Amino acid sequence: MDKQELLEKIAFNVVQGRVEAEDEGFDPGLEGQPAVTELVEQALEQGIDPKEIVLASLTESMEQVGEKFERNEYLIPDMLASAECVGAAMDILSPHLMKAGVESKGKFVIATVSGDLHDIGKNIVAIMLKGAGYNIIDLGTDVSPERIVQAVKEHQAPYVGLSALLTTTMRVMGEVVSKLKEEGLRDQVKVLVGGAPLSDQFAKEIGADAYCKDAFHAIDSLKSMAA
Amino acid sequence: MLVIGEKINATRSSIKEIIQNRDAAALLQLAEKQAAAGAGYIDVNVGTGVGTLEDEMDSMQWAVRTIQDSLDTPLCIDSADPKVLETGLKARDGRPSMINSTKAEQKGLDEVVPLAQKYEALLVGLTMDESGIPKTADDRLRAADKIVAACEAHRVPLKNVYFDTLVMPISTDVKQGLVTLETLTQIKRKYPEAKTVLGLSNISYGLPQRSRINAAFMQMAIYAGLDGAIIDPLDTELMAAITSGEVLVGKDRHCRKYMRAFRHRT
Repeated sequence: MDKQELLEKIAFNVVQGRVEAEDEGFDPGLEGQPAVTELVEQALEQGIDPKEIVLASLTESMEQVGEKFERNEYLIPDMLASAECVGAAMDILSPHLMKAGVESKGKFVIATVSGDLHDIGKNIVAIMLKGAGYNIIDLGTDVSPERIVQAVKEHQAPYVGLSALLTTTMRVMGEVVSKLKEEGLRDQVKVLVGGAPLSDQFAKEIGADAYCKDAFHAIDSLKSMAA
Repeated sequence: MLVIGEKINATRSSIKEIIQNRDAAALLQLAEKQAAAGAGYIDVNVGTGVGTLEDEMDSMQWAVRTIQDSLDTPLCIDSADPKVLETGLKARDGRPSMINSTKAEQKGLDEVVPLAQKYEALLVGLTMDESGIPKTADDRLRAADKIVAACEAHRVPLKNVYFDTLVMPISTDVKQGLVTLETLTQIKRKYPEAKTVLGLSNISYGLPQRSRINAAFMQMAIYAGLDGAIIDPLDTELMAAITSGEVLVGKDRHCRKYMRAFRHRT
C-alpha cells in the first residue's frame, strides 16, 4: 500500500469507527479487515511522518464525522466509536510526535463543574481535542471552582473547558469565571463552556469566551482563538 | 447470537411435500430466505416419518446438495439417526456443518459425538438422557457432564459444543422457563468455553400472543449467556428481541448492530 492509500485507509476506518480488526464498522461487512491501530503502526513502520498521519487521517476524518453528526446521519455511538479510534491512534502517535519535537497546541484543562456528575459529553470533547493536538488535563466530574482555578494556575493553561448538564449546576460556570478574575488569571485563559442547557446568551452572561454546542464546535472555536 | 434457521423441518407438512416431491426450487427458496433474514446456519431435517432409513438418507443427501450448490450459508444437519447425520455431513464435502444433535445416552455418545470430531463439525448436545427431559436444572447439568466426558474422550473441543438446555411449555408447568435458564447459567459457569443454544418457541406453546413470550424469554436467555437460537429468522419480532437484548448485555460494541438494524425505522 502506498502512503496516500494508507493515510486514506486510516481516515476511512476512523469514519467507520473501527479500532481493531474484529470491530464492526458503521457499514456492514468490514469485520476482519485491518483497522486503525494496525494501520497506524504500519504507517509508522513505513516512515510516514506522524504529524502527517494526524493531519491527513485523523483531523480530516473527524471533520467528516462532525458533518455526519450534524446531519443526524451519525448518532452518539457512531461518534464515540470514531472518537475512540482517534484516542487509540493518538496513544500510538504521541511518543513519536514528542520525539519529533511537535509541540502540543497547548494545555487544555477540562472539568464537569461541582454538583454535576455527567461525564459523557466532557469525555467526548476531551478525546476529540486530544486528537486535534491539545494536551488535555482532565479533572473529572463534580469539580469545585477552586480546584479548576488552581489547575489553570498550576499548569499555566491557556484554555479551560467547563461542562454542565443541569440548569442548577450551569451557574457554577459563572463562579469559575469570577474566581479566575479574582486570581488575576482571566486574561491568560480562554474559557469554553458546553452542555445541553447552555446557550450563546448564557455564555455571554457569565463572561465565557465561547459556547460550544459540541466537540466539533469546540475545535472550531479553538482554531479561531489561535488565529 | 448464532441464529439457526429452523424452517426446513419435514415434520411440517408443507416441508414434507417439498422433500417427497424433490422440489428443489422451493427448498432452496426456504434456505435463501432464512439466510437473507440473518440465519448463520440453516437447519435441515428431512425426517418425514414415512419410508425407510435409506429413504431418509437419500433425502438428506438431496437436500444438502440442493442447498449448498447455490448457497454458502453453513448447514445444520438434523436427525435422530447417526446414519442420516453422517450422510448429510459427508455430502457437505468439508464445508462447515453443525450436528443436531446428540443426547446424553450411550448410542449418541458412541456414534454421534465421534462424527463431530471426524467432520470437524459443531455439535448440539441436548441436556437429556434415555429417561427423557430432566425436570430440574441439576439433572440437566448431569446430562451435560456426560456429553462433556464423551467429547473429551473423542477429542471434540468444548468450544464447538452447543448445549441445548431444552425448553418446555410454561402452559403446563409455569416453572419450566426458570429451569431452562438456570441450566443455561450453570453450564456457562461450569464450562465457560462451551456454547449454549435453545429452540425457543416451545416456551409459549398453548398460549396466546406467543411472540411476546418468545421475545421476553429470548432476552432473559441472552442475559443468562445464550450463544445460539434455533428459530424462524423471518420472525422479525424475535430477531429484534435478539438485537435489542444483545446490545443491553454489552455484546454489541458501540451499539453497531442495533443501530444498523433500526436507525432508519421510526
